[in-house]
Amino acid sequence: MTETLSYLLMAWSDPQLLLLTALGTFAGIYIGAIPGLSVTMAVSILVSFTFSWEVNDALALIVGIFIGGVYGGSRSAILLNIPGAPSSVATAFDGYPLAQQGEAGRAIGLSTVMSVIGGLVGTLVLASAAPVIGDLALRFAPRDYFLVAAIGLLLVGSLAEGSLAKGIFAAALGAIIGLVGMDPVTAQGRFTLGQVELMGGIHYVVLMIGLFGVAEAFYQLHNLDTPPVRQKVDKIIPSLAMVLKFLPLSVRTSLIGVVVGVLPGVGGDIAALMAYDHAKRTVKNPTKPFGKGAYEGLVAPETANSAAVGGAYVPMLTLGMPGDAVTAVIIGALVIHGLNPGPMLMVENPHIFWFTVGNLALANIFLLVFGLMGIKLFAKFVEMPKAVLIPLILVLCVVGTYSINSSMTEVYWMLGFGLLGYLLKIFGFQMGPIILGAILGPLMDTSYRQAMSSVGDNPVELLRELVTSPLSLILTSAVVLILLGNTSLLKKLKCKCKAAMARG
Amino acid sequence: MLKALLTGAALGLSALTLALPAHADYPERSIQAVIPWGAGGATDNVMRSLTPYVEKELGGKFILNNRPGGTAVIGSTYVMQQRPDGYTILLGAENPQLYPVLKLATFDYSDFYPINIIGQNVVVIAAPADAPFSTMAELLAAAKANPDTLRMGTTGAGGLPSTVHAMINAVDELKVREVTFGGDGPGITALMGKHIDFMPLSLAAAKELVRTGKLKALAVLTTEEVPELPGVEPITKALPAISEYLPWGPFWGAFVRKDTPDDVKQKLVDAYAKAVANDEFQGFLKNFGAHSLNLTGAEAEAFLKRWQSVTTWSMYKAKAIDIAPDSVGIAKP
Amino acid sequence: MNKTDKMLVGERTFCVLLLAFSLVILYLAYQIAGFSSINSPGAFPLGVALVMIISAAKICVDLIGKARPDCNGWLDAMQQFRRQHFPKRTLIFAALAVAYLAAIQWISFYASTFCFLVLSIVYLRGGRIAGALLVAALLLLLIYLLFTLAFSVYLP
Repeated sequence: MTETLSYLLMAWSDPQLLLLTALGTFAGIYIGAIPGLSVTMAVSILVSFTFSWEVNDALALIVGIFIGGVYGGSRSAILLNIPGAPSSVATAFDGYPLAQQGEAGRAIGLSTVMSVIGGLVGTLVLASAAPVIGDLALRFAPRDYFLVAAIGLLLVGSLAEGSLAKGIFAAALGAIIGLVGMDPVTAQGRFTLGQVELMGGIHYVVLMIGLFGVAEAFYQLHNLDTPPVRQKVDKIIPSLAMVLKFLPLSVRTSLIGVVVGVLPGVGGDIAALMAYDHAKRTVKNPTKPFGKGAYEGLVAPETANSAAVGGAYVPMLTLGMPGDAVTAVIIGALVIHGLNPGPMLMVENPHIFWFTVGNLALANIFLLVFGLMGIKLFAKFVEMPKAVLIPLILVLCVVGTYSINSSMTEVYWMLGFGLLGYLLKIFGFQMGPIILGAILGPLMDTSYRQAMSSVGDNPVELLRELVTSPLSLILTSAVVLILLGNTSLLKKLKCKCKAAMARG
Repeated sequence: MLKALLTGAALGLSALTLALPAHADYPERSIQAVIPWGAGGATDNVMRSLTPYVEKELGGKFILNNRPGGTAVIGSTYVMQQRPDGYTILLGAENPQLYPVLKLATFDYSDFYPINIIGQNVVVIAAPADAPFSTMAELLAAAKANPDTLRMGTTGAGGLPSTVHAMINAVDELKVREVTFGGDGPGITALMGKHIDFMPLSLAAAKELVRTGKLKALAVLTTEEVPELPGVEPITKALPAISEYLPWGPFWGAFVRKDTPDDVKQKLVDAYAKAVANDEFQGFLKNFGAHSLNLTGAEAEAFLKRWQSVTTWSMYKAKAIDIAPDSVGIAKP
Repeated sequence: MNKTDKMLVGERTFCVLLLAFSLVILYLAYQIAGFSSINSPGAFPLGVALVMIISAAKICVDLIGKARPDCNGWLDAMQQFRRQHFPKRTLIFAALAVAYLAAIQWISFYASTFCFLVLSIVYLRGGRIAGALLVAALLLLLIYLLFTLAFSVYLP
């Protein structure tokens, strides 16, 4: 017990580890804020960079970057409507409208506090229930991943403002873009038009930077002459009353974040969108309408994507399996440092587990400090003349895209997606569903085929499994319920009931 | 600004010097090393561990660049397109050797110069701990009793599991349902959750899980027991005929374009040979579950040729590919 | 979708183009593996393409009954569309952006970025060259420090 406690507090008491965690968190915020610079990339560079370090020092820096980076994406989402990472796409839905109303400072303040709450809930779950939920992740069969992806895609219903048909079209378009490249089973090209460059597929961050960054830059060209909104910079730190008001919602969305984060292959991006959907369904009287600057629309995704970090660590620390791309690189780092990440890690090297837990909590504290620092300066960023801001955004989009895969072809694609996004925006299509489709389409395709292969290509057998396995049954019912909720069927049913009651 | 200008000037200058034939001072600038697999994967791990030692031996800086996608076609093609000046190196795995027969690309490693074949992994056939079969012979019997019902995890055409499957089918019969995963990781997760029945894995990926009893090893793809997995029988016990393909395993190597100047090649060969032989790196390989090879020159080329010929011909025999290997210039083993 | 009764200029053309695009996607999806099996590489893409076609058709059907925009014929509509969404400023900026991408491969990343930033800021602000030079220099320095030094990103 005392040993556990000493591991837990290791990062808090050693000045060097303290400093490295702080440094990591600080750097992470800015890495996360720049689209194209991803946490995965930062961590994999750190792995070679910290090669000769003590393993604890390296892990402290990595944890800081991870926590800071996931949060940092919200900065650019709120200020510029360009999510720094896919997990911040949902943050832009209500964050950017807030910035346009002069509340950028308040939005950043709230998102910081909420990220910290989410991060701490994630850490707490990791510390208290890691082995249990690690085993839960193993129960997900391919068919269950298929159902999770289906639930994710059904979010289109709540993401698509206005026309559902346009939302569905956008999601399908995204899915097709996500499917471009080599088929993972047969190695056959799909939608590659015979181009070698397209065999590797189109990275969805390329799509995201184009649709949000470039399209927004072109859109803003119309508003070149309107003076930027003056930003209110008082009351940046949310009051306790406000935090308490959102606490029930934030705990619920944090739990969504942890659970989704635990599943390998599904991460903070989906968690944030699911949490946004949850907020939209359950909050009856938001501060402002959703999509127009609802604080709830900011709380949900920010808590969920931060909580997903704790979740992603669960399979890594309990089983040696990566929960997402970042933990995959961290596993690599552990291997390079001579540790054996696997089911015995917690038994043979318990210090790694408790050290990580303590370190995650510490990084969240630093996040609170650094996140609330310099907000005024950032809010002023929005007040920069558009004539300067727009070219800067374009250059950042180019550098960001290039640094993903060092591919100039992808930069051209990014610009093309920018034009496409601009046109779609003009005609009232939403960008969110496209990203959703691009992330979930490939997951749905592979899990569908895995599920089909598992039952020997027998659809009847697959259907039987969907309703007989307990986990699948729960997920199937969720899909059916959401489908009914999206179509007007359920509403009609409710109306009839009410009418009958009134008459009776 | 000054810095930017200076960098611009430096880049311009280095472009100029490229045109000159003198390579006496190689490396004069940082070397771009392309890893055609994603960050955190086995190839990435090996290369990121090895590179610091190579940097020390060579006295230059490497910029490691992950260019994943398309079974490493994207990254390898990129290196093929760069100038043959030794400033772009491919740090890859075995996959390009199968490109001609899988119709993925028109080139293979014979279009590159092998600087070093670093090491090789051992293959393990793994199953969940409570699977009804414990040896390769029992697995084969179970598959024969109920053909096309057992679920085998694979990683797609050209991946390790399907290659091993082809080898087994070339000498015996193993009819199964193939469930394809995005890589070792998701496959192992499904294996532990018992959503698939068995999967051929690299020792590096399976070692810890077998050691901790989460998975059990049915056989290792060797002719003798391996020290890392004592008590696990070699596959030749159940399938003696497979020995003609052994030793076999996925490998890692460093490559440059064939027309790179000889003095540059020689410098790289020396640096890599010393770096791979480094005790600390050898310790890493051992812990990783891989066997060191450290092959250079003619030895490396012979290794590549044999690997390609053994693998493709066994795949052809098992009808896993429809192109005859000799039609794309691969001789019979 | 804004529930105005009037169609946007070019909306009908755009929606029909989307429908046509969906049909092309269906054709490409069919080409992958035909209707060979429910577990073929082309099965899921075919399904997605069908969803695309249905939703695009629905978008087109929704347009029926909406009032036509005020324009005289096809040519006038084109011109109105261009004026509304692609004014001269947008076109020139887009041209600058494309030229910038092309220049990256010719004259290195840093040189082309500097030119692009100075040119576009000067153009969009209508003058003030000194300010543009300063901003461009600052951003380049930042990119150099962040990407080249800290992240060792290989910039062309």
